[in-house]
Amino acid sequence: MRFFNPSIAALIAIILIVLDVRFSYLDSIKRNMTTLLSPIYFFVDLPTQMMNWISDKGSNIDQIINENEQLTNELFELKAKLQIYNNLVLENQKISNLIDASYALPENAFKLAHIKSIAQSRLKKQLVINKGRNDFVIKSQAVLGANGVVGQIIQSTPFYATVQLITDPTQYIPVKNVRNGARGITKGIASNEGNMRVKFMPLETDVKLGDIFVTSGIGGSYPEGYPVGEVTEVKTLNNEAFLFIKLKPLEDINALEIVLVVSEPQ
Amino acid sequence: MIKQQPRLLLFQLVVIASLLSAISLPDIIQNTVPFWMLIFFTYWLIHAETKAVYTFALLLGLLLDLIHGDVFGQNALALIGGSFFIQSVKKSFYVSNLSTQQVYVFVASVIYLFITISVHWIIQGFDFSLLLFLAPFTGAILWPIVSFFLGKLKR
Repeated sequence: MRFFNPSIAALIAIILIVLDVRFSYLDSIKRNMTTLLSPIYFFVDLPTQMMNWISDKGSNIDQIINENEQLTNELFELKAKLQIYNNLVLENQKISNLIDASYALPENAFKLAHIKSIAQSRLKKQLVINKGRNDFVIKSQAVLGANGVVGQIIQSTPFYATVQLITDPTQYIPVKNVRNGARGITKGIASNEGNMRVKFMPLETDVKLGDIFVTSGIGGSYPEGYPVGEVTEVKTLNNEAFLFIKLKPLEDINALEIVLVVSEPQ
Repeated sequence: MIKQQPRLLLFQLVVIASLLSAISLPDIIQNTVPFWMLIFFTYWLIHAETKAVYTFALLLGLLLDLIHGDVFGQNALALIGGSFFIQSVKKSFYVSNLSTQQVYVFVASVIYLFITISVHWIIQGFDFSLLLFLAPFTGAILWPIVSFFLGKLKR
């Protein structure tokens, strides 16, 4: 093995940083090497898997019957709600046709994925899911939770994929206000509060506390109409041309266990 | 000093450090846990005679970048910086008492943090949790415990 002195090693590291940030030459190498590191993910997640397995085996038949009954009831409720939703979609499509909307609600295919207990960078807000390229989960697909948008796939290996959360400061999502359609772009805030800011909304824009922002579908990276967050703070800052709007994600990312990966139908 | 199989010890330390680094914790705790790879690599540096310090630092840093999804080379540069400091105080480190060793670990962790944050700042701006500044303190506090357990592993 060739031994580097500190300056050569540091120079190599700097060159790699520049190559990674400015160009995409290293993408395939990184992807292949990350695939080789999958066993680390497997071993780290093993205790959680074991706990889940023990918990599942420990459940008695009565519990399972009760849960089944409860889930059946919930299913009926959800079916009822789905009917209302379908009606709304039909109505929306009619209105969209009438006003000749430039975008439409796409028919998306979903893949269910479980979140793995694997830590990611402290400087980024990411998580790892148990679906990867083998399940056709690929880079830039949107990830949703039960209550709203969770993030976007930024890397996919055969068995795992990395999701960048909407609260990451580098994640930008085109959004619109459900109440009046005013458009903006969300950006994560770096602190541990897990909040977002809506940027580029002029001072005269009508935004109120409690307003819900949903994805606008512009740019195509996120499908239109999925809830992103609720307004928790609106104020004007001195010498700023835009409103300061703070958004709390509708999806509690810390409590997430299962997510849906959105992909266009094959 | 380890005269035999220093690379075997390094392999064991890397496996443990990689697993510890990959364990998911709540955000607040995650930001304050020590830089495990630096701490374990420091232990190896002061107990092994090798000329390949910076080659290993580069490789292990890149491994960490891949595990954590960081910018490729960011942790590598930070680990090289931290190792450079430890290497420069190696003789003193080896004969020092635990308190002095804790100070050395703290300084190496500060260098590691400074390089990591600087790279992040240049690329993405000042967008990170201030809790990260606690990581060098926890690293220094946990050093005696880590050192004790790794001592058992070394035998």
